[in-house]
Amino acid sequence: MRRLPPQPGERIDRSAPLSFTFDGDAIEAFAGDTIASALLASGRSVLSRSFKYHRPRGELCGCGQCASSLVTVDGAPGVRACGRPVTAGMVVEHQNAWPSLRFDAMRATDKLGGVGGTFLQVGFYYKTFIRPRRMWPVYERVLRHAAGLGKLPNRQEQRAWRTEYRRRHCDVLVIGGGIAGLTAAVHAAQLGADVVLCDDDVEPGGVQLAEGGHERMRELAARARTAGVEILSGASALGYFDGLVPVWQGDTLHQVRARRHVAATGAIEQPLVFPDNDLPGVMLAGGARRLAALYALAPGASAVVASVDERGVEAALTLHAAGVRVAAVADLRRDAADCPAAGRLAEAGIPLHAETTVVRAEGRRGVERAVLARVDRTGLALPDSAQQLECDLLAVSGGAVPASSLLLQAGGRSRYDVATGRFLPGELPEGVHAAGAVAGHDELGAAELSGELAGIEAALALGFGGEAVRRELAERRARLEARPLTPCAAPPAHARDGRRGGKAFVDLDEDVTVKDVEQAVAEGYDSIELSKRYTTATMGPSQGRFSQLPAVRALAAATGMPVGEIGLTTARPPWTTVALGVLAGRPFEPAKRSSIHARHRALGATVKWAGDWRRAYDYGDAAAEALAVQTTVGLIDVSTLGKLIVRGPDAGELLDRLYPNTMSSIKPGRIRYGVLLSDAGRITDDGTVCRLDDETFYVTTTSSGAAAVEQWFSWWLADWDLDAHLTDVTQGVSALNLAGPEARALLGRLTELDLSNEAFPYLDAQHTTVAGIPCLLLRIGFVGEVGYEIHCASAHGERLWDALAAEGARPFGLEPQRILRLQKQHILVGQDTDSESTPYGAALSWIVKLEKPQQFIGRWALEHAAQRTAATALVGFTVPSGRVPTEGAVVLHDGKPAGQVTSARRSPKLNQAIGMAWVPAAQAVDDARIHISDVGSTFEARVTTKPFYDPEGAVLRS
Amino acid sequence: MSLDFLTLGSDAGVVAKSPLAAGTAAAGATYAVRDGWEVATRFAEPRVEALACRERVGWADVSHLRKLELQGTPEQLVAAKPDDGLWLQVTPERALLIDSAGPRESAAHVLDVTSQLGALRIAGPLARELFARFCALDLRPGSTPPGAFRPGSVARTPGYLLCEAPDRYLVLFGAAYGAYVWEVVSDAGLHLGGRPVGVDALVAQEAASHA
Repeated sequence: MRRLPPQPGERIDRSAPLSFTFDGDAIEAFAGDTIASALLASGRSVLSRSFKYHRPRGELCGCGQCASSLVTVDGAPGVRACGRPVTAGMVVEHQNAWPSLRFDAMRATDKLGGVGGTFLQVGFYYKTFIRPRRMWPVYERVLRHAAGLGKLPNRQEQRAWRTEYRRRHCDVLVIGGGIAGLTAAVHAAQLGADVVLCDDDVEPGGVQLAEGGHERMRELAARARTAGVEILSGASALGYFDGLVPVWQGDTLHQVRARRHVAATGAIEQPLVFPDNDLPGVMLAGGARRLAALYALAPGASAVVASVDERGVEAALTLHAAGVRVAAVADLRRDAADCPAAGRLAEAGIPLHAETTVVRAEGRRGVERAVLARVDRTGLALPDSAQQLECDLLAVSGGAVPASSLLLQAGGRSRYDVATGRFLPGELPEGVHAAGAVAGHDELGAAELSGELAGIEAALALGFGGEAVRRELAERRARLEARPLTPCAAPPAHARDGRRGGKAFVDLDEDVTVKDVEQAVAEGYDSIELSKRYTTATMGPSQGRFSQLPAVRALAAATGMPVGEIGLTTARPPWTTVALGVLAGRPFEPAKRSSIHARHRALGATVKWAGDWRRAYDYGDAAAEALAVQTTVGLIDVSTLGKLIVRGPDAGELLDRLYPNTMSSIKPGRIRYGVLLSDAGRITDDGTVCRLDDETFYVTTTSSGAAAVEQWFSWWLADWDLDAHLTDVTQGVSALNLAGPEARALLGRLTELDLSNEAFPYLDAQHTTVAGIPCLLLRIGFVGEVGYEIHCASAHGERLWDALAAEGARPFGLEPQRILRLQKQHILVGQDTDSESTPYGAALSWIVKLEKPQQFIGRWALEHAAQRTAATALVGFTVPSGRVPTEGAVVLHDGKPAGQVTSARRSPKLNQAIGMAWVPAAQAVDDARIHISDVGSTFEARVTTKPFYDPEGAVLRS
Repeated sequence: MSLDFLTLGSDAGVVAKSPLAAGTAAAGATYAVRDGWEVATRFAEPRVEALACRERVGWADVSHLRKLELQGTPEQLVAAKPDDGLWLQVTPERALLIDSAGPRESAAHVLDVTSQLGALRIAGPLARELFARFCALDLRPGSTPPGAFRPGSVARTPGYLLCEAPDRYLVLFGAAYGAYVWEVVSDAGLHLGGRPVGVDALVAQEAASHA
């Protein structure tokens, strides 16, 4: 291809040359060029290799929509060369070809398959690589190597780039920046609506930019901006999600939520289907026109144009005006000679062949000849009608398909219009408008008028504009309805000259041929949805833009069904292929951290996720930390515990209804353990309830259950209409557990409170200051030693930690805490219990007070459960062999699974393997022998129903 | 027994620390103790911070603002509403009172939740654009005019947002998310050309906007 003299409206800036590399070669370009236009200008005609057969592919659409020019840019694969503007220094590489784009060894797949060959026939992945089965690992490796389009860089830092979300609310979102979209946006904005317009191209204007309307479109875009429209260029709408439209623009994903949507997405020119319709040099007529108009490129020296409507004829005239010799125009319309442009063709000396189409392309590395013929209804050339024409450009136009995917995703329906040979949107969902070619109004004046209507209707629906505007609507609507839709001829599903050889593709993305569709039908895949899945037609990167209609026509021809009855496949997002990184957004994970988190980090803690918290798992030696708690004094950050304040005259009543034991009888300053149950009597959470005064309770929950418990309480509080209030103070309160034989002495150095066992016994609560910080002290002991949970405002948490650590408390993490609590057989809800665990099975029957007068959640279920012996029970066990089983290992009874291990650790204090497990109830007695099957071996364990350490709780209460 | 352990005040004798402290320290904050709190008063020269608030966007840690939660009947809440501070009506039976000496005497339950909620004040012409990077609330002036209060999702966590003035917002969020929210806001804000600012810069900005 060669550069043309300056073209009116060209997009390139000839005063700004720049260069980039393609496969290591320097390529000269101008600012405004796309990668494809620059490569084509440099003399290259092959831009990529096809997905399956590795056939050479040149430019098809010229507008960044097809998959025929996918390249890797600066390490990012899958970039459409015909849509991406060049930048200086850009490194562009071919993809899907080895060893080079010019010679691709994988092209052998094309030869192996041949025409009608079976190697890569439709559904080959279900057939070709099945036998012998033992070869599958080999096949898999080969297939994985061959599959895919492009390769990601190996290293994460090479794959990462900054992407982000941007939320945008607006009154009207206009999708599409052609004449209809811009007009709609201008009218809606001028009536006062807040309007956003997004458009795929680097500037708004649509097809008119390449069809002589560039000045008008640029003026219209300026009017839109003046009216306050936010124009997002190079921005593709990806889908429609109940009114939310994600719009991808470069590295930003705009999440646009509009009250009204105007789809002005235009129509997509379709290729024609004939043998070797993928040779480089076969291009959509609109694409050839675009290359000439916007990038001043002569897409060929000698062109043949094959069309079914006016757009091909207009393209021929444009190419002729740009200096390309047009050898002929083949127009399938019967009345082609009467078309408005026929006279201009004659004036230009371009032969027009009516009722004629292209039945074959010929050439070795690209188009060298086109064979034109008149065809019968099946597409077969009529005898003696074929003629060969020399050309290096075959511009084809198989009609246009409304780009209705977003409308259909929004809930719209499509209907087949026989007169115009295409699927048009039918009834639209509430709040969605359609304008321009997507609604069937391709003609310029009609598109503009439909844009006016859509913009005004959208604005009026939102309360903008007055009665005068409303009155004008009817007149506009009548004018629009008076305009006929543009007719076109329906091309055959498969035009051909009857000679052997040449693949006729219905889907260039996926290398799906007419023969593949016919084979699929023969195998029973005779509906459009089944055929799509079996052949993969329309499933490639261009999302069926250029294959939907050819695939439907091929299926109709193969089944004998009318095209209208075949219908379209379900429209699904994304409408445009999008990098996963763009969908991911910024790499931040909402994480809760306690106010002491920085101290844990400074101490070298291993920090892990625990629910939605980041917690210190250990500080390097879990066993030593556990031992320290039992020999001296340890300090753990338990700020993650859920903490609720329940206040009001009915606070006690509320808790009595939520817990199976009685909470209203707790005396102020005392603490009681409780479990929460579901309606079915299953354990959902546990914690403590501390009564602060007559009407105030302080409730703690598990760390992971805090949010659910707060919701549970709130729900029941609202339902029961009790006079109580609830406040979740989990994040506002730091909690530290100081535990160990020296805990009392250490704490005594920081508070004036009498900590003696007489003055401050087990399960007592006191308000005091510790190191000058107001605190609530709870005398409880999850880890089994004398211990104090010290609660204070989280703004003081770090200073409280510092004060306790300075006195010699050794930090311990979550893992040593788990060892210590296991020694006491204190359960972890969710680990030692599951969704079927009741208090009876979990050795917590003592907590159920069926005799209390109040109804409570789960009571009915527990009353029934109490009448039966639980089938399994939660018990402790030791393993004589010293082996620590995996959590989840199976407990066997008579050789059959009968329970599972829920927790297991080696206790440094007891120097033995201990654990908890669900076992058959009959075995829930001390010293019973159970067998545990774990990782391929079975070993014996002994049941222990009492805590392994301090079974009577003397230490805890001392 | 009482809920005194939740209450922070200058009389506690111990300086309170913001849940965003790790973030502000890493960003180079200078601190001063005010009303018992360690407050990030500045990150750069005052004129630089003022410029950010005037021409781009600035964000300041104001977690030290006193926050009270009031619960009661609608009548009790009305009776408790004081003349000072920011009154944020969450539901008819629940309100937040920010930066106030305290509510009027009433039967409503009052709880100090200062430590429970982190707070950022975000100001500048790009403030809305900054929120758009991490918050889906509709902050267009027509939808969220000055004075409007919006409970909702802030950076994918539960939060509250108050439009205090054009291009000036107060956002509240769970204290445990403080480091995360600071990270998210700073990441987006720096990308937009904004910067963290001290509380004094916001005072100056507020004064300038009133002038």
